[in-house]
Amino acid sequence: MVEVKSEVFQGTLDLMVLKTLEVLGPLHGYGIARRIEQLSDQLLRLNEGTVYASLLRLAQKGWIRSEWGTSENNRRARFYSISAAGRRQLAREAQNWERFSGVIGRILQMQTGG
Amino acid sequence: MLTAVRVFASRLLGSFRRKRLDAEIEEEFQSHLQMLADRFVGQGMTKTEALRAARQQFGGVAQVEEELRKRSGLAFLDLLWQDLRYGLRMLRKSPGFTVVAVLTLALGIGANSTIFSWISSTLLNPIPGVTHTADLVTVMRGERSDHPTPPFSYLDYRDLRDHNRSFAGLLAYHDDFMSLTGVGKPERVYGALTSGNYFDVLGVHPILGRGFLPSEEQPGAAVAVISYALWQTHFGRDSSVIGKTLRINRHPYTIIGVAPPEFQGCKAGLRSDIWIPLGMDRLAWGANRPEDRATFWLNVLGRMRPGVTGAQAQADLNLLMRQIVEHSPDAHRGTANQITLDPLWRSPFGVNAYFYETLPMLLGLASVLLLLACANVANLLLVRSVVRRRELAIRLAIGATRAQLVCQLLVESLILGLAGGVVAIVMTFWTSGRLAELVPPNTLPLTLGAHVDDRVLLVTAAASIFAALIFGILPALRSSGLAVQTVLKEEAGTVSMAFHKSRLSSGLVVAQIAFSLLLLICAGLFTRSLENAQYSDPGFDPSHVLVASYELSPAGYTSETYVAFDRQLIAKLAALPGVKSVTLADFSPLSFTIHTDYLEVGGYVPQPRESMEISRAIVGPDYFHVMGTSLISGRDFTGADGPGAQPVAIVNQAFVDRYWPGQNAIGKRVKDDEWLTVVGVARNAKYRLLTYPPEPVVYLPLYQTYRYTQDTVIHLRALGDPQAMAFAVERAVHQMNPDLPLFDVNPLTVTMQMGVVFQRIAAVFAASYGVLAMLLAAVGIYGVVAYATRQRTREIGIRMALGSERADIFRLVLGQGLRLAVAGLAIGVALSLVLTRFLKSSLYGVGATDALTFVTVAIALTAVTAVACYIPARRAMRVDPMVALRHE
Repeated sequence: MVEVKSEVFQGTLDLMVLKTLEVLGPLHGYGIARRIEQLSDQLLRLNEGTVYASLLRLAQKGWIRSEWGTSENNRRARFYSISAAGRRQLAREAQNWERFSGVIGRILQMQTGG
Repeated sequence: MLTAVRVFASRLLGSFRRKRLDAEIEEEFQSHLQMLADRFVGQGMTKTEALRAARQQFGGVAQVEEELRKRSGLAFLDLLWQDLRYGLRMLRKSPGFTVVAVLTLALGIGANSTIFSWISSTLLNPIPGVTHTADLVTVMRGERSDHPTPPFSYLDYRDLRDHNRSFAGLLAYHDDFMSLTGVGKPERVYGALTSGNYFDVLGVHPILGRGFLPSEEQPGAAVAVISYALWQTHFGRDSSVIGKTLRINRHPYTIIGVAPPEFQGCKAGLRSDIWIPLGMDRLAWGANRPEDRATFWLNVLGRMRPGVTGAQAQADLNLLMRQIVEHSPDAHRGTANQITLDPLWRSPFGVNAYFYETLPMLLGLASVLLLLACANVANLLLVRSVVRRRELAIRLAIGATRAQLVCQLLVESLILGLAGGVVAIVMTFWTSGRLAELVPPNTLPLTLGAHVDDRVLLVTAAASIFAALIFGILPALRSSGLAVQTVLKEEAGTVSMAFHKSRLSSGLVVAQIAFSLLLLICAGLFTRSLENAQYSDPGFDPSHVLVASYELSPAGYTSETYVAFDRQLIAKLAALPGVKSVTLADFSPLSFTIHTDYLEVGGYVPQPRESMEISRAIVGPDYFHVMGTSLISGRDFTGADGPGAQPVAIVNQAFVDRYWPGQNAIGKRVKDDEWLTVVGVARNAKYRLLTYPPEPVVYLPLYQTYRYTQDTVIHLRALGDPQAMAFAVERAVHQMNPDLPLFDVNPLTVTMQMGVVFQRIAAVFAASYGVLAMLLAAVGIYGVVAYATRQRTREIGIRMALGSERADIFRLVLGQGLRLAVAGLAIGVALSLVLTRFLKSSLYGVGATDALTFVTVAIALTAVTAVACYIPARRAMRVDPMVALRHE
């Protein structure tokens, strides 16, 4: 089980939210929380409220937009969608992330005397 | 970086949409929780369980909400909004306090913004319609004076213009009244003869047609540019006006341009309506001044090249001027030739010569008044802070920091300050226009139309904020520094002990009294100056004298016909019933109309660089008799001093003292255009300002001295009310020539008020500020003493119960107030001794530390404060011990 709490994971959460919106299109906060839960095979357990902090950060940076609409079960909800700037940012971040996790992976696989 | 800006903008916006954002977050969360709960219900939970589980999985709804709220806006703005709302609520709760504080501040701020609006429209905007006035300078030749005559001849000007290296352009103009005919009824308008580059150097582009060409400076170009106002009144803003003809001094000119609406010439405070090239001098005035190097008739104004300093430009022109003088020494004999440059705000040409000292001084007085108002409001706040102790202590107890409390209190002060500023601006919209009303009727084309402009708004806002900080900071610091526990335990009755010992509050009262003493002393000094000036002997008797002006040359009279007209007019007027005596002159005393001439004085050798520019009055027969100026020796002018008779002159005592000290002046000679023999010596009389020392004057007989540009002023001494003669005089003139306009018809006692106009302005303001200051101080000391007394009711009750006499109580309270008053007076006297010396140059006949003024004012202020303390002291004396002791 991994808990998303510390500041370090804020960036990661933002990345996940962005990616989710890119893949699934416009979605409300509840949907995003479900999607992350589902994809992480319940491994990643987050307070769903933190999704909204992430959404506010992304919106303030202009990477996502939001619009009020009606959910599938007829509740008023705010739908978020990724902007062009958001897509560019996602591409950059994904690349960074891959490079970064590659480096970490290699370091962690280092063997003494190797 | 860009992202950071975007985030900031978004949060800034967030702060302004607080309410909506909060509602949206709330709604979004509720909908999320509902969806989550629905899901759990689907998994088999009961509704209650599902909701609880949803909340748990969401994680602290309230915290997340708070977190988002914080992040969606800017913390300080949110806080500011909060403080503002809170502050407004608190002020609404005590309307009495709010109204008194706002009005007090409005008076203090309004006094400043009024004076500043005048400064803004005179010193800071010296010639409207011209941009970049910072690099414009006026060029003065000779001694600086606040009544300079035009200092340059055309040939001198042309040499300076063509050979200097410091100026992007140097223009010249001569301004005077002109008669305008050919459009509507004949009219006298103020206008200027200008150099060809006039509009180009000023950077003024006519809104219709064009300005002058350099070639039009030569004689023969009968073209004119008219003002927007003239275009409006005489041509109904007809755009086909270009090419039309109007007559100036009876000669036809073609209109080639209409100036922009704001533009009114380049002499500060005076309005021109017509401009013609200076080459037209012969046609306009029958003179030929452009050809004579010794005729000084042009004012010169230059625009310095970028990067050139005033000192460099001045050195440059001085070098050129020395070469000019060496080259043509005759034309410059008896004149001082050193050149000085002045920026427009303190130029000796135009009204700023008089305002640049007076107005800043008034602003200084007004700022003292503002400080005084601040002290008053600060004291009100202190009193209020006692009432609010519990409220503040509770806020501290539940976690507000002291900084937050200070902020909150300062925001309240800011609200008061800005509200005061708003009221002050509303006042200033009215008061700014009153400057012109301080100036008595006169012959000058003055434009003193001040109004509220951007600068005034800005300065008023700054003054409001500044004031708010001054009166807010001390009370805020003081009332936020509470010992919470003590306050909360405190009983209402014991609050007082902490307060009446407040040194701060007493200190403020002392400051108020000191400031108001300072203002009252200034008021006293200026009032005495005005009195001294007003009642000083001008050297003539103005009572029962009516003055009225006409101008003959534009009406077509020549040197041959004017003498006949004047003789006939004098005879006609003298025959009117109710007339004691009558004469004519080319000026009237104390109205800025006396002229000067460059003279040679027989037997006197001028010092090098000494100016022989001397006041010159052209006067009719019996002038000294009519005006009541006695002759020390010799005789008055008579009707026989006319063309063909021996050329004569009369000089005054100051002239004799300066040029022929200890000698008999009768029979000596002075040279104007020709040599004149002195036939009389007159007592000194004052013709410029009553506050000037006597200066040499030479008088020439009217019938021997025809001047091409010359108003003639009737001086008529009536047996009764001079104003009652106005109609008869006008009718007499029009019987002789129905088309000759008679203007500026006024009693001399009214027009000569110009001679004390600056004393009057200073006195009016200083006196009104002084009275306001005294009221504020009285209210201040009354408030503090009355409040302290009320708070001490219980103590007084105890004292009386223990056997104090009522008189003791009276003395106790009165003594407390008077101690403050005495301290304030002592500081005020010290302050005044230091500061009033800066007024020295504006005072007349009274020293800056005049003992009588100091003592009188101190006594008056003591009396007022005593009354202010007496009222609460009496009330204290009447306290009923039984009631007081029960009072909790």
